[in-house]
Amino acid sequence: METIENNTQKAIPPQPAQRSLSKNQIAELEKVQSLTKIIYAQFKEHKAAVIGAYTIIFFVIVALSAPLLEKVLGVNSENQNVFHRYKAPFSTISAGIDTRETAVRNYIQENPEDAALVQTELLKEEFVASTRPEDALYDWSRYEKRKALAAVRYLDVNNKIKSDLRGIAKKFETFHVFGTDELGRDVLMRLIYGTRVSMGVGILVALSSALIGLLIGAIAGYYGGFIDSLLMRVTDALLSLPTIPVLIVVAAIDLQKLPFVNSIISTGGESILKLVFILCLFSWMPISRLVRGSILTLREREFILASKTLGASDFTIITRHMFPNVIAPLLVSVTLGVGESILFEAALSFLGLGIQPPTPSWGNMLFNAQELIYQAPFLAILPGLLILFVTISFNYVGDGLQDAIDPKTIRR
Amino acid sequence: MLNFILRRIVQTLLVILILSYVCFGLMNLMPGDPVEMMISSNPKITAADVERLRSFYGLDQPMYKRYLSWAGDIVQGELGYSRTYRIPVTEMMGPALGHTFILSVASLVFSLIIAIPLGILCALKPNSKVDYVVNLFSFAGISVPSFWLGIVLIIIFAVNFQILPAGGYQTTGMAYETYWAEFLDKGKYLILPILSLSIQSIGRFSRFTRSSMLEAMRNDFIRTARAKGLTAQVVIWKHGFRNALIPLVTIVALSVSSIFSGALITESLFAYPGVGRLLYTSIMGNDFNVAMISFMISVTMVLLMNLAADLLYGVIDPRVSYK
Repeated sequence: METIENNTQKAIPPQPAQRSLSKNQIAELEKVQSLTKIIYAQFKEHKAAVIGAYTIIFFVIVALSAPLLEKVLGVNSENQNVFHRYKAPFSTISAGIDTRETAVRNYIQENPEDAALVQTELLKEEFVASTRPEDALYDWSRYEKRKALAAVRYLDVNNKIKSDLRGIAKKFETFHVFGTDELGRDVLMRLIYGTRVSMGVGILVALSSALIGLLIGAIAGYYGGFIDSLLMRVTDALLSLPTIPVLIVVAAIDLQKLPFVNSIISTGGESILKLVFILCLFSWMPISRLVRGSILTLREREFILASKTLGASDFTIITRHMFPNVIAPLLVSVTLGVGESILFEAALSFLGLGIQPPTPSWGNMLFNAQELIYQAPFLAILPGLLILFVTISFNYVGDGLQDAIDPKTIRR
Repeated sequence: MLNFILRRIVQTLLVILILSYVCFGLMNLMPGDPVEMMISSNPKITAADVERLRSFYGLDQPMYKRYLSWAGDIVQGELGYSRTYRIPVTEMMGPALGHTFILSVASLVFSLIIAIPLGILCALKPNSKVDYVVNLFSFAGISVPSFWLGIVLIIIFAVNFQILPAGGYQTTGMAYETYWAEFLDKGKYLILPILSLSIQSIGRFSRFTRSSMLEAMRNDFIRTARAKGLTAQVVIWKHGFRNALIPLVTIVALSVSSIFSGALITESLFAYPGVGRLLYTSIMGNDFNVAMISFMISVTMVLLMNLAADLLYGVIDPRVSYK
């Protein structure tokens, strides 16, 4: 008996050290964590995915603030300068005569009195040797930026006029961080505007093909039978086609020949809309298969039977009870789809069948650059690097989401 | 089993048939009109002549009638003439198909040789530094635009170092004395296209090999094999890899489609005379006949590969049941 008692005494675990938990902490522990919070916490563990997410946010901010950046940098994205094509990065270029004269003409029109004063001053100080006083400002505008600024300093005019003149003189020279392209346009600005187009197309295509896939997958999975087999045969057939050849044939068609399209699409941004439409046409299939699969299993669950018994309509069951359960895997698919769409957009634009110039996109910038690889290799490298960065970020985020949502997959 | 094979074959044929009709319709929507292109160099032509030309070539018929006569010609082996080169399409297709075949197969073999060892290496040491680096590279491989990689390769190897040609498929005006010389010369032109075409499949294959190998190595029979004292080599290759191979074969067979479709861009970039480039240039040059035939050939080849993949799956894994 004694031995047994001894044993039982040994078996009693030592008293746990008194841990001091405040009431708040206890409440925190007892509260059920929401699904989004769990997913977020899991997602944060995937370092590459977090970096990817920040990269995407950065590019989205750059894309949204493109006009603002244009103002801050003082470089016009559409200004062409045929005398300074294919300039190396970090080069400073003196602006063309037309740009200078336009600036001066605008100034004279806006402040005729100030301009007249400056003109007489310029002649008096003998900075310019114009025969007519009206030409004085124009002659001044021929100077290099530094000389023009120096002249402004010695003029005997008030500060407002001086700062105005300095503003004009600033336009005499533009600084190009990434050099200029085949028409003398600033590469950085075009890349920034290209970010808008390329990422816009990618996100738009991924979202709308998710919508199409959701619709078709839901109908096929929910109703089953003939509709299911018909829709799935079409999906399989489209899925088995080689993507690029099909996209090229479809992208090459002339929409003007279709009468009904002509009335829908107005001019401007036509090539963008057409591209989004074409890419959507061939990217909804994986999503519809995924949605169909989930809905097939959901259909057998008790809560669906319950809502059916309560008399819910098919529409309510599908949208209110089934879609929330499909969202998580769909999110992964959409994220991966953005990267893929950006790649396809770039490929088509690279072949000259996607976004049409002068609208810049990363793909058609590459298309333009490949003609002069020998002279300006830099032009070809930059857009591709951006495509790589953005696509890899989306792929990593998709991977991270996958891990966070579905812990059953093999974790790294 | 036989039922399944027959159904798959019928399905594939049906898709090809429908696609040929759709493709025929799409060609009608391409910019440019065949008769207008024909008469563009002849200013003396009248409206009546145009009408006569249209009815002569059957262009005034409804689309389905034109399609039927075109399809009839195809079945009889009449592929028509190329508008740009003025030679029969059959003469262009043969060599182009051969070139594309060489490029695709070489790229597939190359990517398998690189990807499978990498994937296995990662699966054997998960979470190691090697695993991390390979994972990064496979992600980059999946995300990199292959045409851009091609441009970068051209810049490095053809422009800067000038050791490899930037495009083409053989040195012009070469008369080969031996087969070896021919192989060496043509191989030199293949290196860059193969590299740029393989990068994506290398990424995909190595990730897939890793995950299926990890899955295989977690099986109980691996522990048994280790417990009975088999060497690590035998356990990895005979017990682990053989089981990881099953899903891998399907993925490889299915990715022939994406290699074939990627070959179009690679061929256009490197001016390599394959089917993909033929399709691209003929569409750009309004050579409808060539475009249609090369499109149908590309699609048919990919569909046949998919069919083969489906059938192969059953041979490799007897557990798969056909319904």
